[in-house]
Amino acid sequence: MITVACGVLALAVAIPHARALPPAPSAVPSAAASTPTAAPSASASASAAASATPRRLPGAGEATNTCVTCHATLSDTKLSTPAQQYRQSVHRDDRVGCVGCHKGDPRDPTVGAHSRDQGFQPHPTHAEIPEICGNCHSDPGFMRHLNARLPVGQAALFALSLHGKLTAIGDQSSPTCADCHGRHDVLSPSSPKSPVNRANVAQLCSKCHSDPARMGKYNIATDQFAKWERGVHGVAFRKGNPNAPTCTGCHGAHSATPPEASSVGRACGRCHEEELKYFEQSPHSKSFRSRGLAECAACHGNHDIAVPTAVLVGTTPDATCTTCHTKDEKPRLVAQQTSDLLRGARERAAEARATIERANASGVHIAGTKYALDKLATAELKLRGVVHTLDPARLEAPIAVVDAAVNDAKTLVKNAEDMRKNERRGYYVALALAGILLLSLGLKSFELDRRRRRAS
Amino acid sequence: MSTEERPRTGWLQDRLGWSELTASLSALRAPRRGFMFYLGGLTLFLFLVQVASGILLLLHYRPDAAVAFDSVEEIIGNIPYGSLIRGIHVWASDLFVACLIAHLFSVVIRRTYKAPHELAWLSGHAALVLGVGLAFTGAILPWSHKAYGQARIGSELARSVPIFGEAMRRFMRGGEEVSPSTLNHAFGFHVAVLPAALTLLVAAHGFFLYRKPAYVAEPGTKPVETIPLYPDFLVRQAVAWTGIIVVLMTLALFVDRPLGEAANPLAPTAAVRPPWYFLPFHQIVRSSPAELIGFNGPKFIVGAACGLGLVVIALPFVDPRGSKITTWAAWIMLLILALLAASALL
Repeated sequence: MITVACGVLALAVAIPHARALPPAPSAVPSAAASTPTAAPSASASASAAASATPRRLPGAGEATNTCVTCHATLSDTKLSTPAQQYRQSVHRDDRVGCVGCHKGDPRDPTVGAHSRDQGFQPHPTHAEIPEICGNCHSDPGFMRHLNARLPVGQAALFALSLHGKLTAIGDQSSPTCADCHGRHDVLSPSSPKSPVNRANVAQLCSKCHSDPARMGKYNIATDQFAKWERGVHGVAFRKGNPNAPTCTGCHGAHSATPPEASSVGRACGRCHEEELKYFEQSPHSKSFRSRGLAECAACHGNHDIAVPTAVLVGTTPDATCTTCHTKDEKPRLVAQQTSDLLRGARERAAEARATIERANASGVHIAGTKYALDKLATAELKLRGVVHTLDPARLEAPIAVVDAAVNDAKTLVKNAEDMRKNERRGYYVALALAGILLLSLGLKSFELDRRRRRAS
Repeated sequence: MSTEERPRTGWLQDRLGWSELTASLSALRAPRRGFMFYLGGLTLFLFLVQVASGILLLLHYRPDAAVAFDSVEEIIGNIPYGSLIRGIHVWASDLFVACLIAHLFSVVIRRTYKAPHELAWLSGHAALVLGVGLAFTGAILPWSHKAYGQARIGSELARSVPIFGEAMRRFMRGGEEVSPSTLNHAFGFHVAVLPAALTLLVAAHGFFLYRKPAYVAEPGTKPVETIPLYPDFLVRQAVAWTGIIVVLMTLALFVDRPLGEAANPLAPTAAVRPPWYFLPFHQIVRSSPAELIGFNGPKFIVGAACGLGLVVIALPFVDPRGSKITTWAAWIMLLILALLAASALL
């Protein structure tokens, strides 16, 4: 009885509502929407509905969504939870509804809504999920009515990804849309609760990629997440750096693919543009390519990238140069020269920073420290980029810029300290003058008191 | 004509009639002892210190929200003695308001507000309002995040005043929100309107006191040893002035008043406290219930506090004979204000 009543109510609301919906390029026949009462009985319409993309069916909206109306009240949690989750999801929209994915006919107030003739799909298969999501998410015309900022190429990118390729060949372990975004409880990626939110995405990937049982058959290592966490990117991410990459930053999201040795530089170069530019001018670029070495990763590592200190370059056992250049005279000399130049510049820059910090801590007011420190950081950044040319002669110019920034910073501190000294000196002079003045005034007051007493 | 009979001559005497002037001041008497009697002179001196240091700061300060903070940084970091001058200005502002409040309470405690001193009392109150306005507008000028927060909280407090609250808030902000126009508004008031008005008021206050001296021996009370205003009291007052200059310089050099970060309207201002002289009112508004006997709670309590303030202003007319209860009430009120300020700091 309740189902029938809800169905009747839904039909009453559905008629004007359906007219307000945006035009659909391949939606369920609009004739069916305008004459809903005829739809359940017309087999021709039903087969058309089953074959066509089931979007914007009348009854998709929550007010008219008879699926939710009934399912939310069912005592079997297996049946009611999806309806309740849907109510909180990003898909809780008048133009999507349960019917958007599961098809069927929510205008039918009886169990006929679940008719397979209407294309009802209670449990879409693993391989069907990307297609179902793509039905809407690949349609720019439809998506711009929902959210004009949403991209529409996810399904195509997914098909090209390793995950998509494995799904296409029937690999049930490979993730599809629902495994990352959720099923009935899909949230907007901007929601902090969404598993694909930037804050959660590394954890999401690690659910599978840190599981030896899942990764075993693909022969993929499971320590990437742990390595990333302790690497420079993971540390920056934890500190809240909005530019620190997580898994998707390098591997892509829907197009997730492990970068090949020859494309590592491109992946890193998306952010480290300068470094890539200079690396390509270096003798390493050609040599790495011919040897199949993974460009940036060959020296810096991939997931557990360490902070690039001056130790990285040189001939000490810690330096990465010695991994390959064990005996070669010329490269070792270049490494040593580069290391010396780099170390010297870094030490001078660190000393300038420490000088500013010390001065600030002692209460000296230094104007323009922020600018001076920014200038120093920019000069060092440039130097870090030029190091990738592996040409010590080319380091001279950026080192000169670092040294100029160091001198500027030190001059600022020196001027501020000199001013402080002058102020202190002036204070003691003023104190002495004030003492003399106080003494004179005291004597004058004493004399006035004496004169007054004498007079009285 | 003998030397004794010859009238005194001199440059000032010829032009100003200096001896007549000093003679008229010498005729006025002031108590020889008592720190309270020096508070008025100290307040005036601190005002002059602020004017002098303010003029020096004005040579380098730029009243534009985009560069105001940088210009203050420049003053304290790059201009010789800039840090000292800014320190003196900031500390003088705080001591000025403190002295104004202490002066007001000393007058109530000594009950010297009664006739014929009504005009001096009323002009003193007006000077207090302008003095607090001067300090508040000055605190906004560095356009640091703290200054921005104080402008916001201070103007928000005004909103709780019944009837005029909204208008006061808009007036203090120079618009609906704390924005660059708040800075321009504050600058105009801080360097022109308020100092000019305060100068006139101080002159009027001095004139009223010259005509009707504050200290008059009460009939039936124990006589107090008095000294001529000129030169005896003035010399003693100069000792206090020299002392306060030393205190100001010491505070400016050794007790840092950090500028903090530049104003950021997107960053929270919850951690920023209002200026110390607004703390009791901030605490009243903060702790008052949302509704009180059918009225808006904060407005009701602030309205009551304003009513009390009006009674204080009208004291010469409410209590023309100077009852001893007023002295006790002043001490209790001072204690309550101190407790409220302390609890706001917790």
